Amino acid sequence: MKFTLSPEQRQFAASIGDLLSGSDVPGLARRWGAGQPDLATWRRLADLGVTGLAVPERWDGLAAHPVDLVVAFEELGRHAVPGPLVESVAAVPTLLVELGDDALAGRWLPALSAGTTVATLAAPPHLPYALDADLADPVLLVVDGTLSLARTTTALSSVDATRRLFAVDGAGVLASGPAVTAAAGRAFDAGTLACAAQLVGAGQALLERATDYAKQRSQFGRPIGAFQAVKHQLADVLVGLELARPLVYGAAVAVADRSATAGRDCSAAKVAAGRAAYQAARTALQVHGAVGYTQEYDLGLWLTKVRALLSAWGTATTHRARVAAALRDAATTAARR
Amino acid sequence: MNIVVLVKQVPDTWSERKLTDADHTLDREAADAVLDEINERAVEEALRIKEAQGGEVTVVSMGPDRATDAIRKALSMGADKAVHVSDEALHGSDAVQTARVLAKAIGTVEGYDLILAGNEATDGRAGAVPAMIAELLGLPQLTQARKVSFDGSTVTVERETEEGLTTVQASLPAVVSVTEKINEPRYPSFKGIMAAKKKPVNTVTVADLGIDAGEVGLAGALTTVLEAAPKPPRTAGERVEDDGTGGTKIAEYLVGQKLI
Repeated sequence: MKFTLSPEQRQFAASIGDLLSGSDVPGLARRWGAGQPDLATWRRLADLGVTGLAVPERWDGLAAHPVDLVVAFEELGRHAVPGPLVESVAAVPTLLVELGDDALAGRWLPALSAGTTVATLAAPPHLPYALDADLADPVLLVVDGTLSLARTTTALSSVDATRRLFAVDGAGVLASGPAVTAAAGRAFDAGTLACAAQLVGAGQALLERATDYAKQRSQFGRPIGAFQAVKHQLADVLVGLELARPLVYGAAVAVADRSATAGRDCSAAKVAAGRAAYQAARTALQVHGAVGYTQEYDLGLWLTKVRALLSAWGTATTHRARVAAALRDAATTAARR
Repeated sequence: MNIVVLVKQVPDTWSERKLTDADHTLDREAADAVLDEINERAVEEALRIKEAQGGEVTVVSMGPDRATDAIRKALSMGADKAVHVSDEALHGSDAVQTARVLAKAIGTVEGYDLILAGNEATDGRAGAVPAMIAELLGLPQLTQARKVSFDGSTVTVERETEEGLTTVQASLPAVVSVTEKINEPRYPSFKGIMAAKKKPVNTVTVADLGIDAGEVGLAGALTTVLEAAPKPPRTAGERVEDDGTGGTKIAEYLVGQKLI
């Protein structure tokens, strides 16, 4: 299996990165967290094709490879972009495509691909609340094999101020039965994978910020990055991210191949990416010291994002249990042969 | 309108740029190579003109093999095809030689109406190549454009220099070089990047262009770099401690520098 990204994938990542670097994403995130979300940057990402990656061509999408999606989400995580990206770009398109209901797909996918609307999703127990539900159309709810349109009931707060969560109630059944369960399973895998990629990107950003700071900040007459204890901590973060990244790309390949292990692979990727990103967050905070958690300093945008994404789309415990169950099932099947 | 855009791959201005010890030419391995930002704007302008009037945009570049990355970016933005002059013999060529080669390369493009270029590259900063090409091709040159408009076969340009703003006109075909005020370049989209894979890039050598290899390159260059030294590090400057007379001391310093 070849994990090297193609020149096109690297160029796509660079394009997203250039756009976001020039878009004052920290300012956007702060306004978003203060209850003033705006979709201007979303529309510009849509112009690059980000919102159409998981949408088939017949619904005006790009039908991109899941690895392309991972490339995009790593970059979105690196810039801590706010909004229901995982839901609108990965999970809901997957759900609507897998459901195979042309009326539902045709109703929303072209607008989602074009970036003129955003979608969000709640799917308890692992996804109990819907992100940015007041901005989204459709707001979808999947419970026990039933897909419904949902209406928002209560606004909730998250550890990450930019994650504007809403409790939702079903308000009109769209579909139900085993097809919904199967499609929701694929959508959960896609969301888990996108979330894992976002975590790797956020972890990478935290590492870069901490490394830059360690080179600038002097103490005891030298940059703090010259001290071995600081170097070791940052090196451990790098190793963690480097080991997580192939799991994320491997899971994307498994999803593309509709491999029997795709769910397990997405779970393993989320666990590894979450652990690496959280280590990056803790280390970045420690390297920065007190300035790291001041609200005016941008580092906090990544710190809280990583903490929130760690439990979004299933906690580490949930995903470990999924990996364990998959391995047990595989062992049982093998023993029966 | 068929447009030729001249592009150049340059070392990223954010990375440390060096000359090689051996022959004082650019050390291409030492820095990240990117499509020069001013060329992105030239490509953007060409695409906007094409979107308004139709036609075809051809990218022409001279540079080593790795310059394909810069060409690919221009194609990803939306240019239709490219001519890449790549030849070992070109190493160390000066502005005049570069202009000769590019003029020949432009000659391989059929039926162009406009040649667009950046006003100067961020590495050499000579800013002479567009004018030299116009001279070699016998075309009018409108340099330092911050705005370009068309009326039939006439191109009108707002030319901005340190002396001020002038409006100049020429009949097509013409050479126009643009400044960084011309526009904000687009970012290549997923679709554009994928489409660029299939766009034709015609890679040619100097021999293909009918140029003798002896006419180009470091040996025949009209300019020679004899010596290069890194910029001296910034000195510490003068520190004024404010003991109540700080304002006076700063004023004295500025008067001494003839600044006030």
